[in-house]
Amino acid sequence: MSFKQEISFTLNGDLTTASIPVHMDTLTMLRDVLQLTGTKLGCGEGECGACTILVDGAATNSCLMFAVDCDGRDIQTIEGVQTEDGLDLLQKEFVEKGAVQCGFCTPGLVMQGTAMLNENPGMSEDEIKRGLEGNLCRCTGYTKVIDATASAMAKTRGEGQG
Amino acid sequence: MTQDFAPKQTLIGQRIPKLDAPSKVSGSARYLQDIELPGMLHGKILRTDRIHARIVSIDTSAAKALPGVHAVLTAADTPGVPLGFGQDNPPLKGDRVRCTRDEIAAVAADTEEIAEEALKLIEVEYEDLPAVFTTSDALKEGAPVIHDKHPNNTPFTYDYEHGDVAKGEAESDVIVEDTFRLHFVTHCCLGVSGIIADFDVEGNLTLYSQTQMPFLYKRDLAPVIGVPAEKIHVIQPIIGGAFGSKLDVYPFEPICVFLAKAARKPVRIVFSREEEFLASPTRQPMELTMRSGAMKDGTITFRDVSTLHDNGGYTSWGATTPFVMMQAFSSLYRIEHCRYKTTVVYTNNPYSGAFRGYGNLQATFAIESHMDKLAEAVGIGPLEFRTHNAQDAGETTLQGLHLQTCGLKDCLSTAADRSDFVTKHAANRAGQDGPTKRGIGMASLFHVGGGAKIYHTDGCGTILKVDDYAKVTVLTGASEIGQGSETVIAMLVAEELGVPMSKVSVINNDSEIRPWDVGVHASRTTFIAGNSAQRAARKARQKLLDAASAKLDVAVGDLDLRDGQVVRSKTGEQLLDLGKLLRALHFREKNEIVVTSEYYEPPSVMQDREFKGNVSPTYAFATQVAELEVDVETGMVNVFKVTAAHDVGRVINALGIEGQVEGGVIMGVGYATREHLLVDDGYVTNPSFRDYKILTAPEIPEVDFAFIETMDPEGPAGAKGIGEAPAICTAAAIANAFYNATGVRMYELPFTPERVLRALKTAAGEQVG
Amino acid sequence: MTSIEAYAAPETVEDAAKLAADGTATIFAGGTDLMPQTKAGAKVFSQTLLNLRRVEGMRGAIEERGEIRIGALTTVTDVLKNELLRAAAPVLCDAADKFASGQIRNSATIGGNICNASPAADMIIPLLLLGAEVELVSWVDDEANWRLIPLKNFFKGPGQSKLRKNEILKAVKFRTPQTDFVAGFVKFGTRPALDISVVSVGIGGQLNSGVLTNARVAFGAVAPVPMRGLETEAVIEGKKIDDKIIKAAASKAAAEVAPIDDVRASAWYRRELIQTLTGRLLRDVVQTGD
Repeated sequence: MSFKQEISFTLNGDLTTASIPVHMDTLTMLRDVLQLTGTKLGCGEGECGACTILVDGAATNSCLMFAVDCDGRDIQTIEGVQTEDGLDLLQKEFVEKGAVQCGFCTPGLVMQGTAMLNENPGMSEDEIKRGLEGNLCRCTGYTKVIDATASAMAKTRGEGQG
Repeated sequence: MTQDFAPKQTLIGQRIPKLDAPSKVSGSARYLQDIELPGMLHGKILRTDRIHARIVSIDTSAAKALPGVHAVLTAADTPGVPLGFGQDNPPLKGDRVRCTRDEIAAVAADTEEIAEEALKLIEVEYEDLPAVFTTSDALKEGAPVIHDKHPNNTPFTYDYEHGDVAKGEAESDVIVEDTFRLHFVTHCCLGVSGIIADFDVEGNLTLYSQTQMPFLYKRDLAPVIGVPAEKIHVIQPIIGGAFGSKLDVYPFEPICVFLAKAARKPVRIVFSREEEFLASPTRQPMELTMRSGAMKDGTITFRDVSTLHDNGGYTSWGATTPFVMMQAFSSLYRIEHCRYKTTVVYTNNPYSGAFRGYGNLQATFAIESHMDKLAEAVGIGPLEFRTHNAQDAGETTLQGLHLQTCGLKDCLSTAADRSDFVTKHAANRAGQDGPTKRGIGMASLFHVGGGAKIYHTDGCGTILKVDDYAKVTVLTGASEIGQGSETVIAMLVAEELGVPMSKVSVINNDSEIRPWDVGVHASRTTFIAGNSAQRAARKARQKLLDAASAKLDVAVGDLDLRDGQVVRSKTGEQLLDLGKLLRALHFREKNEIVVTSEYYEPPSVMQDREFKGNVSPTYAFATQVAELEVDVETGMVNVFKVTAAHDVGRVINALGIEGQVEGGVIMGVGYATREHLLVDDGYVTNPSFRDYKILTAPEIPEVDFAFIETMDPEGPAGAKGIGEAPAICTAAAIANAFYNATGVRMYELPFTPERVLRALKTAAGEQVG
Repeated sequence: MTSIEAYAAPETVEDAAKLAADGTATIFAGGTDLMPQTKAGAKVFSQTLLNLRRVEGMRGAIEERGEIRIGALTTVTDVLKNELLRAAAPVLCDAADKFASGQIRNSATIGGNICNASPAADMIIPLLLLGAEVELVSWVDDEANWRLIPLKNFFKGPGQSKLRKNEILKAVKFRTPQTDFVAGFVKFGTRPALDISVVSVGIGGQLNSGVLTNARVAFGAVAPVPMRGLETEAVIEGKKIDDKIIKAAASKAAAEVAPIDDVRASAWYRRELIQTLTGRLLRDVVQTGD
């Protein structure tokens, strides 16, 4: 069998340990080992962004990241996005603005959008579009995803001022 | 004490978030890929590395011996009943392979890795056969025969005619004739294909399937797998995109059943992305020759079309696209004389299935290119020329398609006005300096708007129950593939029953409990499932109002249901809580519960042998205007705006319909300018998102849309279907805009940079490599 | 089911070099190239999987003694945002901006992009303009061994370089560009970034009164390696860049590249693009610089 490695890391705020084959990618670990199936496998080649997670706050294709490299890091997945009251602001905007159709790309888009909002709460529309360039969506044509991200950004700024 | 009651609020036309959106944004929605049954094995399929070959032998002994492998199957282990629309495609091929996808063995193992390892241990010996990759080669005397049953490689032909084309030609002042070439593209659902098969001890089969037509699926699958339809239970988990790709039964589905049966354990097959590109359906490529004419006054005289469809190695739904194409040829604009001949030809290429628009993108590309050519030839502007030939409501086209409503003229004028088409079109043609040329072009479409009666019924069933707490559960035959049908159905029901959306749930994924439906295709779900649900809700409403009338001693006509209350219709005064009424009905007065059902059958007909007859209860129209820039030195085409005016009957869910238009237009732009599944001597050479390019967020044009509400009298709340329409005429509008920008007309899609540069240089008389 | 028998994530360059010393390690940093290559079976794991990402002191850019040194573990996002690079070598940041996607830029490293040795690698073209050298370290005879190779001589073919199996690329460095240095990078694709270059072009040099000296030209995806356009350089070197020179340079560029037909483009089209883009870029570089 494959050589395994013990790793420990913070997963959605909780200290987590896993024993995983060293060649395994992070997406497979999340889905098959840790049973967190919210993160999606769309291509396995870093082209579609459906598997986007945050690694130490940076949006990352989990399909391209060795799971062993999670050791000691702070990993956030779609399952860690909700607040105690339910959906967080960006998720609510995705729902309200109609940014979801089949939804398979949605968790990745939410994670990428979350990273974008954290990084630059003053994005122009073009910057939002560029920010989403690594996430493929076949249903929506992106417009409503862009709207939802812009709206969440505006509300975040509003809250900050208020 | 007087109380002010709000006037009746309607849900129709509001922006209602999709019911399934919260679970999807939170990652809790469970797709097929997320379902793991206890003891479940993983199935993998060995596909041939040949294009056309006789299978001499298959040795699976090493694969069978691999630890962790539970079943290894070849054709010899299966009944060998062929599947697909042409019933020419055995799930596992035993004697011969005919295209790159061909399944020759399958493995079920403890893990995907072991299954893949086992595939590598299977040894196959082939004897290569001569192969054929173009329709013209396949029709030549002595061409390799792909299926012995069809020695001429022609499984289907279609002949359609109305009027007298010769007469039309004689009446013409101008005639144009061109050959258009349409390419392979594929669906690119973000969620790849997959299935889980699970037998119980009594031989009942549960399939977790992504099918778009669960009931016909049972019928089609049963003979192939040797399990009676009544023993097949289809559960559709949340589906990660479909767009027509899940309309037919494909070999991996029965293969998974065979594996589950052999291994006596549940088995899941999920494609890799590469496999999805190689082995999921495509849009049917074709060569289309069109001859059409017009009189000097701008009246179209005739349309004469012939197509050669590349059917690939087997016959799936792609072969039936002429059925839809002929509707566009016969009925997009008023056409006195029309003829259409199709030859569907086997080759050793991949085979095609259904894909949003179903042949109509190809047909409309040609029709609308010719509309511009004819307009130019007779010296009339593109808008005026189209408007002159556009139909009005109440007409019946010469194919027998009855246009109860028709917003085509409004679509034309609205799209033109919003985009300032006439001014820009003229200005661009006046000539432009520099390497970047701007262009604007328009195209319209005609498509079924409420299903297509290709079976003896095109209906959909609903069972509706209102419980003791006025919670409404709708069991619908319709399937949700992401398009938002469940939300529309819930809106229509909530509207009838005067309950908030939060009180309605829709059950739409379990074949055991929901009534029959044809499936998600032909832009029919809002129309047909919507009508079905609305009518079931009306029955429940009647029952509730009757009960309330008796209880309150108020005439039924003076009562209404609003906000979960029985109210006086004139004033809105709340008289009785709906839950209370239901509980009274159930426990005290009559011991009755409120459960209704409906099977809605649209007033459409199956067409006759000449393909004539009103196949759909309503038809969708639209006009789109595309604006683009062409870099004539690199060939890059940048579509920066699409204005879309769609006759949608009536908007039910504004949020949903906008999403359909935006998504469809972007798919159309991708079809026209980026997407190309490259097939080289039968092999797919770009099976990845790296080299098969769907549009990304920074590339999208602005999409401006307008909805023309023609209030279809048969449609639910006046609505027509919208699912397919937005993708249909975008490529044609882009082709016309490209001509407007460059003065060069392209007859072959897609307009990818290299092809564009070649076309421009060729047109300029330069040599190209 | 791989042959991996050990995994290591060393924290010092020396430890990393020691672990790589026997030449049997599969080395990765971001993993964005290695992961898909191994999944596709194009690359097979060797017995040790060596993760460089934890090595300290190999990330970030510093300027010392007139040189800018970028640690191999510097991510493409780091390059894009680095103030020093934005000021001193903006062409590098521009290439970083056209690299893949946000997610990949966050993981992929400049060292990885060099080691992967793709003829289409985005970061290599501007580094060639900057006259970069790569700093390689190995552990031989109980001590660290260093060597420097000019980047222009580093590549041998698609996916092949002079990096030895026991070597680790530690940094890439170049002389801090003079204030009159101008450069531009253009990558042709249908998307702003998430594209493998059909072709890419870089042009740089010192610009004074419209004259370009120490001119450097580099091309991506038109030869087995990312190539310097020496003949094109000769056309523009020391010349006042006018329409005539631009035309001559564009023609020379198209003549000196050696593209192939592949799934992304034909050789013919690549040549056409090289000609057009070289001309346009040269004009841009000179206009922006003045």
